[in-house]
Amino acid sequence: MSRSAPGTPFGERRDAGSKRVVAIAVVVLSALLVIVGQLWYLQVLEGGHFLDASDKNRIRVRPVAAPRGILFDRNGVPLVDNRPAFTLSLIPRELDRDVERRDAVLGRVASLLQIPFEDLVGAIENVRPESFQPVRVRRGLSLEEVAKVEEWKLELPGVIVEVEPQRAYPTSRFAAHLLGYVREANDEQLKQGRYRRGDMVGQTGLERLLDEFLRGRDGGEQIEVDALGRPIRLIRETEPQPGAQVVTTIDRRIQEAAERAMDGRAGSVVVMDPRTGDVLAMVSTPAFEIDQFTGTIDRAAWVRVIRDPMHPMLNRSIQSAYAPGSVFKIIVAAAGLQEGTIVPTDKTHCTGEFHLGAWTFKDWKEGGHGTVDLHRALVQSCNVYFYQAGLKIGGTTIAKYARAFGLGEPTGIDLSGERPGLIPEPKIRKGRGAKTWYAGETVNMSIGQGQILVTPMQVARMMSAVANGGVLWKPRLVQRIERPDRGVVWSDTGKVMGHVELSPMVWALLRRSLWGVVNEGGGTGGGARLPGIDVAGKTGTAQKIAKSKAEKGEDHAWFAAFAPANNPEVVVVVMAEGGGKGGQVAAPIARKILNAIFLEKVATLDIRG
Amino acid sequence: MIGIIDRRLVKNVDWALLSGAAILVAMSATTLANLSPGRAGSTVALRQIAWFGIGLVALAIVASIDYRKLVRAAPFFYLVGLTGLVAVFVLGRTVSGARRWIAFGGFTVQPSEIFKIVFVLMLAWALTSRWAQPLTTSTLAWVLPLAAIPAVLIVKQPDLGTALLLLPVLVALLVGAGIRWRLLASLAGTGLATMPLAWLVLKDYQRERILVFLDPFRDPLGSAYNVIQAKIAIGSGQLLGKGVSGATQSRLAFLPERHTDFIFAVFAEMWGFVGCLVLLAAYALVLLRGFDIAAAAREPVGRLVALGATVLIATQVLVNVGMVSGLLPVVGIPLPLMSYGGSSMLVSLMALGLLLSVRMRQFQ
Repeated sequence: MSRSAPGTPFGERRDAGSKRVVAIAVVVLSALLVIVGQLWYLQVLEGGHFLDASDKNRIRVRPVAAPRGILFDRNGVPLVDNRPAFTLSLIPRELDRDVERRDAVLGRVASLLQIPFEDLVGAIENVRPESFQPVRVRRGLSLEEVAKVEEWKLELPGVIVEVEPQRAYPTSRFAAHLLGYVREANDEQLKQGRYRRGDMVGQTGLERLLDEFLRGRDGGEQIEVDALGRPIRLIRETEPQPGAQVVTTIDRRIQEAAERAMDGRAGSVVVMDPRTGDVLAMVSTPAFEIDQFTGTIDRAAWVRVIRDPMHPMLNRSIQSAYAPGSVFKIIVAAAGLQEGTIVPTDKTHCTGEFHLGAWTFKDWKEGGHGTVDLHRALVQSCNVYFYQAGLKIGGTTIAKYARAFGLGEPTGIDLSGERPGLIPEPKIRKGRGAKTWYAGETVNMSIGQGQILVTPMQVARMMSAVANGGVLWKPRLVQRIERPDRGVVWSDTGKVMGHVELSPMVWALLRRSLWGVVNEGGGTGGGARLPGIDVAGKTGTAQKIAKSKAEKGEDHAWFAAFAPANNPEVVVVVMAEGGGKGGQVAAPIARKILNAIFLEKVATLDIRG
Repeated sequence: MIGIIDRRLVKNVDWALLSGAAILVAMSATTLANLSPGRAGSTVALRQIAWFGIGLVALAIVASIDYRKLVRAAPFFYLVGLTGLVAVFVLGRTVSGARRWIAFGGFTVQPSEIFKIVFVLMLAWALTSRWAQPLTTSTLAWVLPLAAIPAVLIVKQPDLGTALLLLPVLVALLVGAGIRWRLLASLAGTGLATMPLAWLVLKDYQRERILVFLDPFRDPLGSAYNVIQAKIAIGSGQLLGKGVSGATQSRLAFLPERHTDFIFAVFAEMWGFVGCLVLLAAYALVLLRGFDIAAAAREPVGRLVALGATVLIATQVLVNVGMVSGLLPVVGIPLPLMSYGGSSMLVSLMALGLLLSVRMRQFQ
């Protein structure tokens, strides 16, 4: 191996040195050969034995789920919490290799816990048999069920009960649409690669929106177990990192009061702070049973919810659009006053009917309201006055003002699936199925009927603009997100989406009239009157487009209010589907909510004081 | 870098040696990439390759300098190196119970790693200096302390593995420098006689490792855990290996330190006996080139530098693979060019740089 060149000056010494190098090389190569020999022994001669040992390796790597972050209301009261829940899991590697004996074990589990045998077999069907990862079969075991499994433990190799944090809600349906439910990642989410099988993922509402923050990071344990799968000792442990805590804008007390007030009715309530755009409560009824959706829901219950004709999964506050009815008269009044097309002192005589060509438009009140000015027309919700005013102002101008108040476009709230609603454009009606815009359509539009569609959240924002003098807020749901170790990681200080420019005189007039709706004689909103608090508001009764005669008469009832009238702190919007007249149905609901906000709070303060 | 060196030098670059090293790094990157699932694995592999790139620059720098200049400056390096080893006790960062690292800005430096190279240069300087001729007991009287002082400092860190590494290098250089066999034998005898004394110096966990080596089932879940798991990993690879995805021992994290000191077990589980033969053949190629360069060196300084660098790498390979496969007690020594880590990669490639430096100037 040496490339000695003969005849170099140090020839002799070099040869002696080279020999010594060769000697060392021989020692090193011999040592390498010994290692090859050892590898031959380990891998070829004893390889089978070690392969067996690697299969039977009794060290279990067990994930420890990180507790999901908690959502708080604006006062630090939790909206949702975690509690420990028991989960039945199977460990594929520790189940018997023999299918018959394995099925005997699974059969025993099935009869102990009343789980279909197929579910147990199905759970481990697509998992590698040598996997240590526990496969969850059923979440939320009762204590009795846990006791049964523990009792039979020695005869149930590969069957374990894990303790995991699970969502706990104040009541079964509490803020279901707002919070959203949490379930195991579905196949589609698994495909994205961000989640592992069995990960709990927020599927709707805030849980979905903030999932990245709420999740935290799972920890893990390495546990030595004996042949029966009983833990012997903990080898290594990585602490789970809990998820971030979210402070929302919701006031749990108001949310609960609004849910109570809507009990038994389908519809929506939005409570907003007009000074900040904070959503204080967001209710959609009927709600689904959010606690039933956490963990494993059985198929039948799922199908029942999905097929329910009342659509309990629908978040009516933002995902459903309705005709605003007379609530829309606020927009018409604002447009007319600002443009100068109507004058507050102008009077109209209302006979209960309005004729336009061959068509007759009726007032809701038989016989009419008599002679009314704008103020009285708003207070009594006189249709005939607004039919005439609408024609004078024109459909285009009304539509412009409706958009300025944020109707017909998404509010930008941080929840998915928001509907934009619709404000028709009287001028541009081209393309397929194009029709001319008839004057009758403007007449219909003037009282919030026809094609106009708005969501309760949009109405709440519009009403907030009336209350605060024209500021159009982006509805805020989340104030800030905090991590226990890193402080605030995200915060929202509020965002103004636009301004409605009306002269101060117009704002004042509108507010005075809305106060009159609730507090003056003959006002349609008298049902919302509250002693001690000046409530202002507007009723609305939206005709549901009847598909058949049987459906007729199921009008949607609206009431949009703010209070106190001279210095508004809250906006309350109530929409009851098929409820009937706004003044009779929606206003009393709003009254209950306002009562809870202003008077019950005072009461509790008194007790504390 | 190459541009400033004599063209004749470039002609004499040992491409076989370099390709051997490149093959090993490629195997290392493949193993690391498949050790952790998904992006984590490729990140680690890419970092390893990046360190290889940085190491190649260091290699080129070392190779471009005449090794005789380096040896002449060895006493200076040695003093700086000793200062570094002492500094570890004052400024050092403690990682898993051992003070081995010094933070340098954003970097952490492991003085004991770099000292391996300095050690080779220093001994080459000492043994070829005029005070060392002829090589007798009186020479040993001042050469041995040169080795003993850093060894004690490194043991105290505690880093027994690196300290023990210095011994074979010392012996090989004494042999290469022409020590008489009889003197070497009596030296070995004295060494063996003082072994019991060394037992007293060892820390508890170090003693435990030796006892466990003698009897692996002394504590199958404690200290012996690593040894047993590594043996299971290697053995279960059998002749052809389990492939990348089947390597449950490694991938399911039964193996400790599987990116670094125990990477050979991971490799063995994935690629089996046949793969191990390829791996060891690549090491044999590198080492044989090293020994060849030493044997062909035309003067003693070059021979000793090449021999020292080769034995340095050879010892690490033998001790690491020996320990992982259960032939030697567990000491923390990385597998050159395979184990994940910047310091080790850098030092291994600097050693190869020394070999190239000697090789390129062989025919001057």
